[in-house]
Amino acid sequence: MTEAIRKLFLIMPFLFGIGFIAPLTAQLMSYWNIEGPFGMSPIAFGLLFGGAWGIYANIKGRWL
Amino acid sequence: MTDGPVRDDTLMRDVVEMPAITQIEDRPAISLEADDALDGHTRRELIKEEREIAMRFHGGRTWVYAALTIGCFLVWLSFFPLAIMGLLGPLGLTIGFCFSAFVAAYGFIPSHEAMHSNVFPRGHKLYWLNELTGHLSTIPIALGFGVARLTHMEHHRHTNDPALDPDYTDGAENWWKAILKTWWNRQPGVEGSVHRYKRMMADMDTPASRRAVKQTTLLQLVMLGTFFSMAWSGYAIEVAVLWWLPRQVGLSWIRFWLSWAPHHPQERGRYQNTRIFKARLGYWASMAMEYHLIHHLYPGIPNHRQREAYHALKDVLRRQGVDVSAH
Repeated sequence: MTEAIRKLFLIMPFLFGIGFIAPLTAQLMSYWNIEGPFGMSPIAFGLLFGGAWGIYANIKGRWL
Repeated sequence: MTDGPVRDDTLMRDVVEMPAITQIEDRPAISLEADDALDGHTRRELIKEEREIAMRFHGGRTWVYAALTIGCFLVWLSFFPLAIMGLLGPLGLTIGFCFSAFVAAYGFIPSHEAMHSNVFPRGHKLYWLNELTGHLSTIPIALGFGVARLTHMEHHRHTNDPALDPDYTDGAENWWKAILKTWWNRQPGVEGSVHRYKRMMADMDTPASRRAVKQTTLLQLVMLGTFFSMAWSGYAIEVAVLWWLPRQVGLSWIRFWLSWAPHHPQERGRYQNTRIFKARLGYWASMAMEYHLIHHLYPGIPNHRQREAYHALKDVLRRQGVDVSAH
């Protein structure tokens, strides 16, 4: 269990990207009536954006 | 008190409020700006005088810390069902954000008192309230009380030691770099803030430290689980405004005022490892840290009495070589 949790935290930036940043992006876009690029739905764009940013943070060790 | 390892009973109050006076070994006089003629005998006499004054400021209405913590925690918690029921709206969320940020930042003060068993001392029938205060007040910043207390005690024992002080990585050349660092140290790959805390707890490798790490890990999983489940249920903005963003603000506020400001430039020594300073934002905004020297000398003096204690101690501190020009 401890090992499973430790491995979970190793990829937590990516999980945070798809688990939180993605839906937050989508809901902010809906709130401000912003359409996704190339006809993408807000959540599709959110997943792309949040997932990519999370992977970046995982690899680089920082969000910016 | 010496500059070496500090015993737990001097850091956490027991039922007996007057801690024993620690014997101080003779040492060469420490060079001071004003007067370098203080020998061991003079030092001992000054410290005795200092302690007699300081003991008057221990204790007091510390139950207020527990009452405020429980009240504020319950209000903060109530924002979540209110948000899910759609009862907050833009104004409600704005108020919720401001209150949550305040709780995240200033909740560290009662937690800090609880770390030192100042809310109620060990052995007191209400000691459980001290512990409850400690546990509740750091939930908004997702820092388990066990880790908070153990690392804070290490901070007192090894203040400004680059290897052993858990807060050492908060050091910075100036105030704006210190603010940047409060964010930088939270990055996933940086050894700072809670990452450093967890690593030091793992190195400590005692039953208490292992329990503390599990507690903080569980708290972080609960926080992240709340973020993800609320976000995917359509309440991402609400949880961002009521928890995620306030936590970021609170952590930076705490790190700046409790770690950087009173300890800069991270010198070592009983009267040098922290300082008396004047905060541009004032006493309340700086979380009463202008008088943090008093806390390091006498951790049993609660936060709200430190200013009063400082003014009573000012003359003897000046004779010890402390710069008291700020207040």
